[in-house]
Amino acid sequence: MHRRRGCTRGGEQDGGLVNLKAFFVATLSSALDLGIAVPEDVIRHVTPDVLAAHLPRPLWARLLTACVGAPRVDAQLVVETIGVPNLCEHVPAQIIWNCIQELGQRSLAGVVMAAPAAVPSSRPHTMPTSSVSRPIPLATPPPPPAAEPRAAAHPPAAVGPSIPLPGAAGDAEVDGSGRPRMQPSQRFRPSSTGIGRLATPPSNARRPQAQATPSATPTVGDAAPAAPRVKRGQTEADFDLETYVGGKDDWKNALAVEDEQLVDWSATDETVTNGDEIGRKR
Amino acid sequence: MSNDQRQAWFARVMESGLENDIFAPSDVLAHATPDVLASHLPPELLSKVLSASLAAGSMTPERVLETVTPDLLAKHLPHEVLWQCIAAAAARAGVNKTVGS
Repeated sequence: MHRRRGCTRGGEQDGGLVNLKAFFVATLSSALDLGIAVPEDVIRHVTPDVLAAHLPRPLWARLLTACVGAPRVDAQLVVETIGVPNLCEHVPAQIIWNCIQELGQRSLAGVVMAAPAAVPSSRPHTMPTSSVSRPIPLATPPPPPAAEPRAAAHPPAAVGPSIPLPGAAGDAEVDGSGRPRMQPSQRFRPSSTGIGRLATPPSNARRPQAQATPSATPTVGDAAPAAPRVKRGQTEADFDLETYVGGKDDWKNALAVEDEQLVDWSATDETVTNGDEIGRKR
Repeated sequence: MSNDQRQAWFARVMESGLENDIFAPSDVLAHATPDVLASHLPPELLSKVLSASLAAGSMTPERVLETVTPDLLAKHLPHEVLWQCIAAAAARAGVNKTVGS
């Protein structure tokens, strides 16, 4: 006992162990980097009890912080969080050496010696675990990217609502196939708002009737004549309105008067005369 | 683990052991004896060792390891031999009570 203590402690105090720790760090780090060892190999020797006994509290705090925030706690997280230099610094050299010795014997067993019974079992056991443990931290990042596209998916949805606005405009256009006629007809209406009493009920009835008449009138006025025929159509529509509404003769008379008034507003005699003639002809 | 990884690791361990004075070149040659070197080093490397020694007028363990670097040791010598060297050094440091046989 005494000798052992003298030997080991003497070795530690010699400063020889300072180099020994650096040697351990290089050996363990390279083993982990080269895939000779996996973090599980380290934790098998540097157990939680060992860490509890030898790891300083600040390092424990760091380890606990990392474990709390990690999606999964495994040997890799522990080893990476503490760091090989800290492990070799605080964990007794004998334990670190036991770990390195296992790695060395296992490595030799793979090359030269016949593998001990326990060795091959540890290899396949550790290898898959390493493969499992490594991807995991890598797998955690993907979720955020998955969230990004979702976030990106929202903007289009937000854009979508803006689309309906043009869509509504499109609806207006669709309706507008009849509406351009209606807008000018609105010009009449205010003028004929004197007739406005009729405006509301007939307005609903006007559109279908106005469409019905153009279909009969054929598509002649569909494309080009839209603007000019607006006037004609307006007169026609008004005339239809008269007919529709005008089951009553009074309204026909009233409409005829309004056309004359329209002639006054446009200040064009031709339209007035044409509108009257057309309207009356049709 | 592949042989390349194992070889790289032994090379790194030998390099670190020499850098950190865990063992000295003489300790290495205590295990990597002339017989072992002669049996495993390729002819051109043996030639280099001899040439360097002839040029210097002596053949010391340090000079041998200047030519036969840790990488070459790990590449040509049986890893068992290197491990015996490492384990013996660990035993001297007091961390390994059972020197690997």
